[in-house]
Amino acid sequence: MILVFGGAYQGKLDYALDKFSLTPDCVYCCSRNGELDLNKDVIYGLEEFVYWCNANGFEAREVLQVRGDLSGKVFIACDVSQGLVPMDATDRAFREMMGRTLLYLAKDAEEVHRVFCGLGQRLK
Amino acid sequence: MNIFISGGCKNGKSYHAQELARDMAKELGVPLYYLATMIPVDDEDRARIQRHLREREGWGFETIEQGRSILDCFKPGALTYEGNPVDPNGVFLFDSVTALLSNEMFPYGEDMDLDCGQRLADDLLEFAKITGNTVFVSDYIYSEARTFDESTETYRKTLAFLDRTLARECDQVVEVTFGMKYLYK
Repeated sequence: MILVFGGAYQGKLDYALDKFSLTPDCVYCCSRNGELDLNKDVIYGLEEFVYWCNANGFEAREVLQVRGDLSGKVFIACDVSQGLVPMDATDRAFREMMGRTLLYLAKDAEEVHRVFCGLGQRLK
Repeated sequence: MNIFISGGCKNGKSYHAQELARDMAKELGVPLYYLATMIPVDDEDRARIQRHLREREGWGFETIEQGRSILDCFKPGALTYEGNPVDPNGVFLFDSVTALLSNEMFPYGEDMDLDCGQRLADDLLEFAKITGNTVFVSDYIYSEARTFDESTETYRKTLAFLDRTLARECDQVVEVTFGMKYLYK
C-alpha cells in the first residue's frame, strides 16, 4: 500500500498518477457518503470518507480495516493537520480522526509520499 | 536561476531567500533588488515596512515597491525606492506571491477580482523569463481543517495554482521548515 498526502490543491492526484503510471479510470473519488470502492487502484480524497465516518460516529481506520484488503492500493489524502484548531466541533473531531487515520496508513504503507506545490518527497 | 521558496509563517523563508539572492547577485556581478509587494494601508504596515528596510540594511538590496501589475517595474521611467532605474538583468527577490495575490484579488477600496489567477500566473512566468534570476517567496497555507468562506477558499485555491505554476517552471524549489531546507529540485 502507498500513501500520498499533502495540503489542499497541491496536485496530489496528478503526482500519484504520474509517479505510479496510472490512469484516471483507476481512481475512486471519495465523497461524504461512507462508500469506498476497493476494486480501484487509487482511493482519492480519503478525507471525504473520514469526514463522513466522523460525522456518523465511526472510527475511519476501523472501518478501513474491515472493508477489505488494502494492499496494493494507493491512498491519497489531504493533510489538514497544520492549521488553526477549527471552531466547529465536527471539524475539530474530523481533524483528529484524519491524524489517527493517516498514522495508521503511514505505519502500514510500503511507501509514503508528501506532495508540495506539485512536487513530491518520499518520506518512507 | 529562478528559485521558488515556500513554507510556513516565520520559518525562515525570507532570510534564506535573501541569502540566495545576495549570493547569486554577487556571483553574477549584477544589481540586487528586493521587490516589495506589500501596499501599506495603515501605520502598522508602515512600521513593518520600516522594520523590513532596516533588516535588509547592509545586504546591498535596492527596493522596488510593486504591489500590483508586477511587470510595470520594467517600464521605461520606473524607479527603485532609492531613485535608480531597474535593470531587468539584476537578481530579484520577489516577496511575496501571497501578498501579490491578495492585492490583486482583493484590491483595497475596489471590487474583488476572483478570476485573476491565470493573468497573475502569466505575469509571474513573464517576470521569471525577463529576469532569469528571481527568488520567489510564497506561503504554505494548505493544511487547514476549517471550512472557509467562498472568497477565502478561492484565494487559497488560486495561490496554490500560482505556487504549482512557479514550482513547475523554476529551476530550484525549496521548502523551508524552521530554518531547515528541503530541495524538491
